[in-house]
Amino acid sequence: MDDPSRSVAEAAVKALEQLKADIEGAVLDTAEAIDAYRIRYLSRKQGQITALMKRIPDVAPEDRKAFGQEINAAKDMVETRLEEAMAALSGSGSGSAAPSDLTLPGRAQPEGSLHPVTQAARLITRVFESYGFDVAEGPEIEDDWHNFTALNFPPDHPARDMQDTFFIENADQDHGGILLRTHTSPVQIRVMEEVMKDGQPPIRVIVPGRVYRNEAISYKSYCLFHQVEGLYVDEGVTMADLKQILHAFARTLFGQDVRVRFRPSFFPFTEPSAEMDIWWADESLPDGGRWMEILGCGMVDPNVLESVGIDSEKYTGYAFGMGIERIAMLRYGIDDIRILYENDVRFLEQFS
Amino acid sequence: MIISTNWLDDYIAHGLDDTALADHLTMCGLEVESVETTGSTLDGVVIGHVLTTDKHPDADRLSVCTVDVGEQETLTIVCGAPNVAAGQKVAVATIGTTLQLPSRDNPDERVEVTMRKAKIRGQESHGMICAEDELGLGDSHDGIMVLDDDAPIGKAFNEWLAERGTATSDTAIDIAITPNRPDAISHLGVARDISALTGRAICRPKVETPAVGGPVADAMKVTIEAEDACHRFVGILVKGVEIRESPAWMKQRLLTIGLRPRNVIVDITNYVMFECGQPLHAYDADTLAGNTIIVRKATAGSTFTTLDSKERTLPEDALMICDADREIGIAGIMGGENTEVTDDTTNVFIEAAWFDPSSIRRTAKALALQTDASYRFERGVDAEGQAWAAKRAADLMVELAGGTLVDGMIDVHPVPYEAPVISLRSTRVTDIVGADIAPTEMVRLLEAIGFGVTETQDNPPVWNVTVPSFRPDVEREIDLVEEVARLFGYDNIPEPTHSKLPNFTPGMAADRQRREQLRDVLAGLGFRETCTNSMLPLETAERFNAAALPGGRFGGEVVETLNPITTEMAALRPSLLPGMLKVVGHNQNHGQDSVRLFEFGRVHTKRNTNRSMVGDYTETETLMIVAAGKWQSAGWQDPARETDIYDLKGIVDRIMGALGLGQPRYKERDGDDIAAYGVDILLGKQWVGALLRVSDDAAAGFDLRSAAFVTELDFTSLAAAAAGTIRPRFNAISRYPVVERDIAVVVAASQPAGPMIEAIQRAGGELLKDVVVFDLYEGEHVGEGNKSLAFGLRLGADRTLRDKEVDKVVSKVLGSLEREFDAKLRG
Repeated sequence: MDDPSRSVAEAAVKALEQLKADIEGAVLDTAEAIDAYRIRYLSRKQGQITALMKRIPDVAPEDRKAFGQEINAAKDMVETRLEEAMAALSGSGSGSAAPSDLTLPGRAQPEGSLHPVTQAARLITRVFESYGFDVAEGPEIEDDWHNFTALNFPPDHPARDMQDTFFIENADQDHGGILLRTHTSPVQIRVMEEVMKDGQPPIRVIVPGRVYRNEAISYKSYCLFHQVEGLYVDEGVTMADLKQILHAFARTLFGQDVRVRFRPSFFPFTEPSAEMDIWWADESLPDGGRWMEILGCGMVDPNVLESVGIDSEKYTGYAFGMGIERIAMLRYGIDDIRILYENDVRFLEQFS
Repeated sequence: MIISTNWLDDYIAHGLDDTALADHLTMCGLEVESVETTGSTLDGVVIGHVLTTDKHPDADRLSVCTVDVGEQETLTIVCGAPNVAAGQKVAVATIGTTLQLPSRDNPDERVEVTMRKAKIRGQESHGMICAEDELGLGDSHDGIMVLDDDAPIGKAFNEWLAERGTATSDTAIDIAITPNRPDAISHLGVARDISALTGRAICRPKVETPAVGGPVADAMKVTIEAEDACHRFVGILVKGVEIRESPAWMKQRLLTIGLRPRNVIVDITNYVMFECGQPLHAYDADTLAGNTIIVRKATAGSTFTTLDSKERTLPEDALMICDADREIGIAGIMGGENTEVTDDTTNVFIEAAWFDPSSIRRTAKALALQTDASYRFERGVDAEGQAWAAKRAADLMVELAGGTLVDGMIDVHPVPYEAPVISLRSTRVTDIVGADIAPTEMVRLLEAIGFGVTETQDNPPVWNVTVPSFRPDVEREIDLVEEVARLFGYDNIPEPTHSKLPNFTPGMAADRQRREQLRDVLAGLGFRETCTNSMLPLETAERFNAAALPGGRFGGEVVETLNPITTEMAALRPSLLPGMLKVVGHNQNHGQDSVRLFEFGRVHTKRNTNRSMVGDYTETETLMIVAAGKWQSAGWQDPARETDIYDLKGIVDRIMGALGLGQPRYKERDGDDIAAYGVDILLGKQWVGALLRVSDDAAAGFDLRSAAFVTELDFTSLAAAAAGTIRPRFNAISRYPVVERDIAVVVAASQPAGPMIEAIQRAGGELLKDVVVFDLYEGEHVGEGNKSLAFGLRLGADRTLRDKEVDKVVSKVLGSLEREFDAKLRG
């Protein structure tokens, strides 16, 4: 035990055994792993086997041969494994020889998808963007002024009952009440207010966003949904222009020969007001289909323009709004709105 | 509101079938929601004469009758009605007749039954003697319907009914009335629009309104104290009425529109309301103390029992009808129990009034009580329609209830109606509508629905238009434009074939552009987008209003709604995390153990910050990404691997890369209520989000089957930070080769790698293009309490690097690692 070279050799032998175990055990399934493996053992500067070889002179002369043989064996092992691994790697794709079984399935890649509401919203905004509409957004927590008053909903008017509202703060304060917006129309007001700070129309904008209604939840209504609102204010805008763009929109979404009709309706912030229906073919119905309401629209009420300081004699405008879920449900044949918010992967994966 | 087509036919011979009628209504703004045919034709029901009745030998309650129906042979019919008697004229459903009979289980439902020859307890029966409800003529099933003695034997029952103004079947058209059409909440109102569309005249029932005053004014005294809320009160007295059932035709019409017939007096008030839109109230005149009626405001907080026997607490400002002693009705909403018409009533006082819409609406809202009357008053009834309606009801009471009219009429009218006159420019119509409507056509359309249009010499024409009293919604020129447009027909407005381009430049907001980009990036990385509810239970919202997450970081309170649908949705989400955990739990319990999901959404807290737009609320957009279960599933060669935090960290790196923001800094943070462990994500010094493993406490209740790794990023901040990088700037590509060098060092096992990478980057300077960690080893070779980290360095420059330069950088890096982290080069 007094021979220093012997203890060096013993330690080296012990290290060698561990080394062999590591050499055997390493996983070499990628080019990177193979590279790292080569470096770890054989690199001129860092290789563990190279290092052991450099220590051969320290070993007692009588053990040197055996020790050297052991190292060489380890080195052979490394090289063999490297060759095998390279072959296996090229066998699984990169070499010119065919792998043994091409019928094995490909490696699965995870599949992602966009929510159908997003897909429908994108479709809708894309149509209007192509007609030169800007996109604006606004807050979901709104004040009474933007959600109702500026949009020509008089206080104590039955029109307010058309939209069941979630309130956050009562009306008895300066802000006149804070609530969850019931439609994206308040963003019309915000956009016009912004423009009128230092400019004038034209204003041509669409507003996608989440809105809230305090309604019983059922297959056809949820406590929230998404809308796209449109607004165009300029000189000489007429109902005929409104019909033109919405008909174009309907053709894009529902096909070139879609039948549309406009019928009178009522919204406090537009006058005249209309709803647009499309003819939805359904062979199971006696008439071979039925009219389906798609959106509400109309000419911006002069009171709305005046509320943001736009001269309603000089400028006219149209506005329209539609539910994104409704469009998505029609396009994809979804019959229960609630499934949109459940986010079951078996549902989502159908929209990949 | 439901319209009965039989009823409508009384006022206009429109010549349209049901489908065309519904279509006309919809296209003029009275949207038809449904068209339903009620009743049956009653073909096969004939008038019979009961000749004999004998007790059924085997059933006490049944009679065996012989009935003459005008054929050679009389019919033998078994009848269960107690009131059947020889000599009666009855309606007989003969063999083969199909009737809609009330269902035994639910009298409101009807089932189709065809009469067949039957044996009832051994006795043959050749048809059925019908009760009212079996014929669809009423509710009564007390016994068979006994006809007038002069009813001709053998005559078709439906013909006989028709001669008496009763139809056997009817069509109920349900119309959605928009708030701007108070004039259309009645059959006459609907008839007016049909008349304008078809050009056919309206035929109103003949009613002669009596002169004001007379004996009735001596019998009753009416005073209006609240003149602002009650502009007019008309009263008529009918004496000696007999409270009985209404005639079949009236009951049938009321049933068609969904009203249950009560007695002839109440039915008449309802009938006239649905006829002309003016709500009426009938008082038992003998219960009115002091023969006096006073209209005044209630004392707030007092109680009143309405005729539905409910005691109600009156809100401030409620307009009340009172007699000399007490309150007797909530004006325009519901009468009182104390003065209602009962079976013993003989004298009836009819009220027809005009109440202020806002006043009625406020009270009805406060009481949460909407009635057919309040529905009409709060939209605005015809300011001139009271006398006609009161007299019409009185006439019907005389005719149908045997009453006697007391001459004269009370008409207290403190605020007379003045018809508004509005100036209408023909050019304004064409400017708004965009169709070439001739001025003469505009005049014709307006006059057809009761507007008065003056002659004008102006060219182009400008008219003074007088608004009829039944159109309180029409106040401005634009309202007239709408009337012209809707009657002209929106479908007749031509679409232009060209359109001008406005002179302005649309652009895409940076945050929107970034959001759409990240959606695509994440979907490409195998994540599915979700869309979750913004509302959740208060307790959950508070739990996740945590400083670790972007929403909670603002330090505000959870936002609650004042009127939630349920406690399950009482608060707004301060974070997308709870909604997302619910989705993970749902999927893991439906066979999807491994999920990768993301969502963009707004989160809300109550606190005034620099992001507040409305009130003291902070609304900000976050991006939530979650991965749980296996990151990689087992393949034929590859083992499965559970998700860990590094998987999601790589995703965050990709997002930052996509935004052009470079490598973020990750700072380890202590675990807390939400995070078992995790890191803060920083851009420079700005906190932009957290990356964490959800703690088991936070996940409790979501029923997760595995650990969830999530990141919630403050997207508003990220988008702002990335605003400058939307347009990438090109950098010339180096034509010179890169040099790769690997170094492995041994450090204390507790030494984090992050600061070492940063040190390498600092030491590497400009020549160091990239550094990766490609090996991590702990074990015997590096000694207890140590680990080995292997870094791969890529060096390059706009020239060929010399070995000496590379060696210099590598030794600088090694020196820095040695100095700062006590790292030893691994030989």
